[in-house]
Amino acid sequence: MIRDAWRKIKGRGTPPAGEEKGGVRPENLVWMFGTARTGSSWLSAIMGEIGGYSRWHEPLVGHLFGNLYYERAGHRGEDEHFILGARYKDLWLDTVRRFVLDSAAARFPEVADGGYLIIKEPQGSMGAPLLMKALPESRMILLVRDPRDVVASNLDAHKKGTWTADLMRKGGKEKPPSLAESRPDAFVKGQARRYVRDVGNAKLAYDAHGGRKVLVKYEDLRADTLNTMRRIYAGLEIPVDEAELALSVEKHSWENIPEEEKGEGKFHRKAKPGGWREDLSPEQVEIVEGVAGPLLRELYPVRSTA
Amino acid sequence: MTPKFKRAWRRAVRGGKSLRSRARRSSGSGEPLGVRPENIIWIFGTGRSGSTWLGSMMESLDGCAMWNEPLVGNLFGNFHYFRVGGRKSGRQYILGERYKETWLGPMRDLVLGGAAARFPELIGGGYLIIKEPNGSIGSPLLMEALPESRMIFLIRDPRDVVASSMDARSEGSWLSERREAQSHTSKPGRNLNTYARMRANSYVQQIEKTRQAYKAHEGRKVMVRYEDLRADTLNTMRRVYAGLEIPVDEAELALSVEKHSWENIPEEEKGEGKKRRKAKPGGWREDLTSKQVEIVEDITAPLLEEFYPDTATARDAL
Repeated sequence: MIRDAWRKIKGRGTPPAGEEKGGVRPENLVWMFGTARTGSSWLSAIMGEIGGYSRWHEPLVGHLFGNLYYERAGHRGEDEHFILGARYKDLWLDTVRRFVLDSAAARFPEVADGGYLIIKEPQGSMGAPLLMKALPESRMILLVRDPRDVVASNLDAHKKGTWTADLMRKGGKEKPPSLAESRPDAFVKGQARRYVRDVGNAKLAYDAHGGRKVLVKYEDLRADTLNTMRRIYAGLEIPVDEAELALSVEKHSWENIPEEEKGEGKFHRKAKPGGWREDLSPEQVEIVEGVAGPLLRELYPVRSTA
Repeated sequence: MTPKFKRAWRRAVRGGKSLRSRARRSSGSGEPLGVRPENIIWIFGTGRSGSTWLGSMMESLDGCAMWNEPLVGNLFGNFHYFRVGGRKSGRQYILGERYKETWLGPMRDLVLGGAAARFPELIGGGYLIIKEPNGSIGSPLLMEALPESRMIFLIRDPRDVVASSMDARSEGSWLSERREAQSHTSKPGRNLNTYARMRANSYVQQIEKTRQAYKAHEGRKVMVRYEDLRADTLNTMRRVYAGLEIPVDEAELALSVEKHSWENIPEEEKGEGKKRRKAKPGGWREDLTSKQVEIVEDITAPLLEEFYPDTATARDAL
């Protein structure tokens, strides 16, 4: 009701936020949530390769709204003065919607003609429930991976001299010393908590979303990429050209990545489900299983404890 | 209209047909109907600098309301300035510089829409004071999104701010119980020096961003020192209204100043551990250790020299 009233107050007689003529269609947005180091770059690269698709690489809009709403001001939800207060949720969700649609239209004008926009947003997964509520027509991929492998991958990534340091250097900064080096067990605990926060909220959004959606495990994607991709498109109800899909899968396969770009400390590390057994100490495995236990049991019931 | 009456009226209006009546209004300038952006007065600075007191005096005047810490500045500022690192210039980041036009509009609507929904009584006119000290980090973005709005830059000696913050978070204080329930970790705890350092750093972040917004803002604005407000409240308030170019009824202003004066606060509501503690400029000399003074002065040195040149380094005098 408040949202409708604000539209009237604005007095433009316009359709809902961001749905102006020539804009990006909300139903053509495909969100990819989960958490970092789950294969979202790989999956979005396969999808982005196909004609009619564009890829938005980590806008962080989920982090923008989710961080204040769930973490820093989570206690103020019922306070009617709070800008993201529950009483005015319809109103500010409208703004969230406009943020996404206007920004998408400005960056990807080609999508306005009816193409699809893959929004790779693993690091904004905390805000997934808000985004899916603001854009209920959009489609959603929940990409999950065994938390022990996710933590092991992050542990490697944050050591000295790895690809994350190179990334920071490109941005003009030196990577500060990481807990991954000085206190690895504490780092592991922090990463496990982050997994629970991100995947937990993404799962909440997935369960609540009444639209087109699909849950994908990284392990299935590795075991049978082409068939898992077919399942994704079927779940999202998006037609795809078989030959084009097969070509894209082949192009982005692990085997096609040059050997010198793979290995420890590199962005493409080992892509080996269960590799955590070689990477984590028994104590670290116990930490992850302790923190992420409920999600682990829900998503990986067969092998939830080591 | 007293603040209590205003709140009751607001509740009654929100429960009824107010939204329809808002839709009938027209600004006549193509501007979205609702609270007029030029009638918004931001109070930026930092927490524990007297913003509640200043906001309450202004809210008491007829035709005014106060939006108490929406945190909209915190929402955008904390993220944009501290969390995204080097991504600002890139194509992908949602608040990317080159796509500013696409997000300043929704940001503006978020404030104006939120204001209209919460303060329907102001739609025909009147002023909305947005007390946002803890959202000051986003003040440059907000003032850019709402350039017609007016701005108060409220500043207080950082040593008194740190002393007040430490007291507010001490065991059994007004804030500690609330924060305990919220599992916050930024209370002084055992290491008071670490807390002093952290609070001084947040002071610098907030005041520097407020100063940046204040300098860039070409509209009506005024800078106020808490110490001047304490020393001569009525005349400082006159200066505030003059700077903001808002006409004010002298008698009404004097009444509001009197009503909200320190002396009129009941004794049992004042003192250590309470929200109203001592309101004594320079009280930090009694509250902080020499080490804590040194920490705060080192971190805030440029700001102390700029805004408090007479007492910028007082550690030796302790």
